[in-house]
Amino acid sequence: MRKPRLLLVDDEIPFAANLLKLLSRRGYEVSAVHDGSSALRIVEEQEFDVIILDQNMPGKDGITVLKELKKKWPHLEVVILTGYGSVDLALDGFELGAYDYTTKPIKLRDLEEKIGQAFRRKMLRV
Amino acid sequence: MFGQTISGTQARVAAPDFHSRSYPKLLRRFVLGAVVCSVLPLLVVGWVSYLYYSQYSMSRMAAYFQRTVEYNRKIVESFLDERTSALKLVADTHSLEFLKDTSNLSQVFHILNGKGSNFTDLGVIGLAGKHLAYVGPYDLMDKDYSVTFWFKEVMSKGVYVSDAFMGYRETPHFVIAILCRQGGATWILRATIYQEFLSSLVETAGLGETGEVFLVNKEGVYQTSPRFKGKILDKAGFPMESFTGESGILSTDPIKHMDPIAPETGLISANLMKYGFMHASSQQIIAYSWLKHPQWLLVVKQDFSEVFGDINRVNTVVLVLLHSCVLAVLIVSVFTTGRMVKALKRRDRETEELNRQLMQASKLASIGELAAGVAHEINNPLAVILTENQVVLDLVETEEGLTREFKEQLALSLGQIDAQVERCSHITKNLLRFSRRIALPSRFVDLNVAVQDVVGLLEKQARSRGVQISVHFQENLPKIRGFDFELEQVFLNLIGNAIDAHEGKPYGSIQITTRRDSKRQGVVATVADTGSGISEQELARVFDPFFTTKPVGKGTGLGLSISYSIVRQMGGGMSVRSEVGKGTEFEVFLPCRDGDSVGPMETRRKESVKRLLAPPRGQRPTGLSGG
Repeated sequence: MRKPRLLLVDDEIPFAANLLKLLSRRGYEVSAVHDGSSALRIVEEQEFDVIILDQNMPGKDGITVLKELKKKWPHLEVVILTGYGSVDLALDGFELGAYDYTTKPIKLRDLEEKIGQAFRRKMLRV
Repeated sequence: MFGQTISGTQARVAAPDFHSRSYPKLLRRFVLGAVVCSVLPLLVVGWVSYLYYSQYSMSRMAAYFQRTVEYNRKIVESFLDERTSALKLVADTHSLEFLKDTSNLSQVFHILNGKGSNFTDLGVIGLAGKHLAYVGPYDLMDKDYSVTFWFKEVMSKGVYVSDAFMGYRETPHFVIAILCRQGGATWILRATIYQEFLSSLVETAGLGETGEVFLVNKEGVYQTSPRFKGKILDKAGFPMESFTGESGILSTDPIKHMDPIAPETGLISANLMKYGFMHASSQQIIAYSWLKHPQWLLVVKQDFSEVFGDINRVNTVVLVLLHSCVLAVLIVSVFTTGRMVKALKRRDRETEELNRQLMQASKLASIGELAAGVAHEINNPLAVILTENQVVLDLVETEEGLTREFKEQLALSLGQIDAQVERCSHITKNLLRFSRRIALPSRFVDLNVAVQDVVGLLEKQARSRGVQISVHFQENLPKIRGFDFELEQVFLNLIGNAIDAHEGKPYGSIQITTRRDSKRQGVVATVADTGSGISEQELARVFDPFFTTKPVGKGTGLGLSISYSIVRQMGGGMSVRSEVGKGTEFEVFLPCRDGDSVGPMETRRKESVKRLLAPPRGQRPTGLSGG
């Protein structure tokens, strides 16, 4: 099975850059943007399997972006990865169709596991 | 089991002090108020009524006595007036010549006595003082009366009724004498009456066993025999200094201090008392009245106790009832006030507890917000550190030319960074868990099952530390609403802390019990250990976030705070009792609430949240401590 195409949406640039680097080394096709609007734009242009989505960002927050993404691309799998975890946010995310929800900091192997699960689900749906 | 008790709220918040209110003082004030408002008016009304009634009864009895003496006086006066009139009539209608004839006089005598006159004898006496004619049982024809007192009196007054005297016949009697003048002749018609007959005249009926009626002349000599003490012609023991013509009534009731009831008692009244005619000890009531002709004093007297016996009995009953009522009011007042103050005390305690809870909730909210903010802000840098760590690790793995020692040292350092980030991550997650204040959809949880699961997880660890865990579950406990993983977390903290409390002890025990609390409508679980115990100062802070007694690095002091937060969110409470050197006992109360069962949709959502929030099974949240 091919490696999933990933989009990182996070305003924490060092984190996004490190993750981009690490995941790319592990064979993932990864893009990274730092705000919600850019994420919506890039999704229009490129195809992704799984989106790693931060919650607190300048402009549109993660939940708003998720809502819009799911509206247009319902089969797109989204994993919410945020430092501002709360039960409300998790519940809202699940309500809007997020595949999973996790909080920072997260070990790379754990993140990879979640990405793998989300990708497998997307593949099953397709 | 243990000395000091601190509830979750008491441990951390200084609440308003309701104990400063003085309940004994309050009780005294209420009782005093009840006494002033009810007992005093009752006593005043009761005693005023009693005194008024006593006074009224006494005056009625006095009036009765007065009537009795007046009645008797009129009887005696009527008797004497009738006899005097009869003799006058004889004198006026018969000539001396006619009456000097003994047979004629005898005829008149029999006519007079035939009408019930009760004359003992009848005689016609000349101016020389000797009988001209005599009818009667004595031989008095040769007696000379010219020197007798009554002879002189009748000669001067014309009509005379004498006092009692013995005379020639040596029997107490008195004389009614009429001076008659017809033509040129002057003579005296004289009749005598035995004094005993007067005694029979005065009424003693209705005077009970202690009453008596008698007559006394001006000199204080009995004119009739008293019923009890003395006899006719004896001195009554006091001088009758002058005729006053008064009537009145006296009382020797000690309450009255020998004051006469009637206001105008005058000399006689004073003498009656002065010469002991009345004795205070005998407590008598006396009524008296003067006869005008002769000047005799009619006296009626009776013991106070007999006269006022019935009234006194009624008064006694009234007073007993009155004071019984007062006593009853007092007892009821004290009892009711006591209960009221007790209820007030309980309500104050509840208010105090509520205030403490409100303050604690406010404090928790502030701490929670701060903790959440800190945790969120730390998470992002931690994420960066972790990824940087991974980047360096990747580089080390791929970089050639590095020595083996360098690689090993670097791997060790990066591993330490990873471990510390992991530790920070656990702390921030616990902070977030502590600060979470939203009400989660819950389901029914069996307390016994949750506790048993935790015991199963920690039993081996406890055994390895020489600590024996024993459980005593009450069966069929009602279910409580909540999350089993949260409940497990609470008991992971409590039992884990109980195990840690045996640090430095070769062996110990932990006793876990569950029971139903019908009064509070919930269930209670207790975790009691035989560990080192907690000092009083530490006990007061045991539920505070970040408070720990464990060595640095072994605990963050969030365990009990989170447990307390969870229990409070479930509507329950936690308390702790501890004694240094003996051990600690935590009590968890959880209410049983009614609620709808959980639907399938909601269950799925909750399972997702549960998966997210729950720590790995069997793992105690990082740095759980506090006790």
